[in-house]
Amino acid sequence: MSTRRAIDEIVTLRAVDGVHDLGGMHGFGAVPIETGEPLFHAPWEGRVWALLGAVMPATTIDRFRWTIEQMPPAEYLTSGYYARWLWAIERLANEQGLLTGSAEPAPIARPKPSSRPATARWQRGERVRVLNRVSAGHTRVPRYLRRHVGTVERAAFSWPPPAESAATGRYGNAEVVYTVAFAAADVFGPDHDHTLTADLGESDLEDSVT
Amino acid sequence: MNLTPEERVEILERQLHDQGHVDPDTIDAHITAIEEATEDGTGPSTALGAKVVARAWNDPQFRARLLDDAVAAVAEYASQAVPLAVLADTEAVHHVIVCTLCSCYPSGLLGNPPAWYKSFEYRSRVVREPRAVLAEFGMELPEDMALHVHDSTAEQRYLVLPMRPAGTQGWSEERLAALVTRDSMVGTGWPLSH
Repeated sequence: MSTRRAIDEIVTLRAVDGVHDLGGMHGFGAVPIETGEPLFHAPWEGRVWALLGAVMPATTIDRFRWTIEQMPPAEYLTSGYYARWLWAIERLANEQGLLTGSAEPAPIARPKPSSRPATARWQRGERVRVLNRVSAGHTRVPRYLRRHVGTVERAAFSWPPPAESAATGRYGNAEVVYTVAFAAADVFGPDHDHTLTADLGESDLEDSVT
Repeated sequence: MNLTPEERVEILERQLHDQGHVDPDTIDAHITAIEEATEDGTGPSTALGAKVVARAWNDPQFRARLLDDAVAAVAEYASQAVPLAVLADTEAVHHVIVCTLCSCYPSGLLGNPPAWYKSFEYRSRVVREPRAVLAEFGMELPEDMALHVHDSTAEQRYLVLPMRPAGTQGWSEERLAALVTRDSMVGTGWPLSH
């Protein structure tokens, strides 16, 4: 086995609507519930877990997630959790120059978990619509909620928008993130009686006039 | 060149080591440390989460702080890198958590998620047919109990605070903590009854 291995560059499709966005999809079977599960199922999984620490100081969790989301769909669906991590760590190590040089990239500044935002555009009980923002980049708006109208439960916290953190590998200015509740009957049809919530940034929402 | 993940991680680690970015001994130490902290509850783990839940059952002031500002309330157990919200179950509503887009989990308190939480089956189905998924975990919800499914789509993590089992009045926190299962803090199980 050689000590050098070329890591493919990411094909620059910059896909947003990837196969990772699984919420509400049909066709998957029973949940594989394991008893007496070990922390790692094989020694290499533990090493992948630990190697994430080599690339994370100089990038954002959003860029890590976005990189995983660039996996070709068939490969994503046939790879396990730590194999998907490995795919991303290989590419982040490559883009940070860690595979070919000894220079350590500078660690980035990270946001801290904040208390409730002091001011917010929407308050509890107000109705908001999820924007259908189909653009190049990264989003944390799941497909199954786009265009749907929900009710604000609370302005939960402030955090830098994930699209910017994924694109630049740096955290930008924070925005307010809202916990929004949706009736599953609206989203999946009248025979669903549960409530769904998601945490959505202010830039992913608009006033609903309904 | 179809290498196995095991072969690829060996090559990646060697490349990073050659350039001075990782030390295999440090990697070994990290893995041993998380295994030990998970096992004995000194670090984020089911055991650590169970301590927090048991205390909330016994200490109304702590419970109030936990529901109001979980990051501050759990700071004495584990510091959190991201926001945390605690969802209290009642007779009227049961909460369950998921991350449909990846596998976000309250790892800062509970440690690494189980494989089923990260599975495509759980991620795709629990937002759409939660009662069917919960039935696979052996949970039957009363007809009149509302079900709230929380998709962890941003950096806020969720922890379910299950209802205290009946018949445990006067129990110590330590005795109560033994009733708290991992699944009961995710919403896919009830606490043990004894």
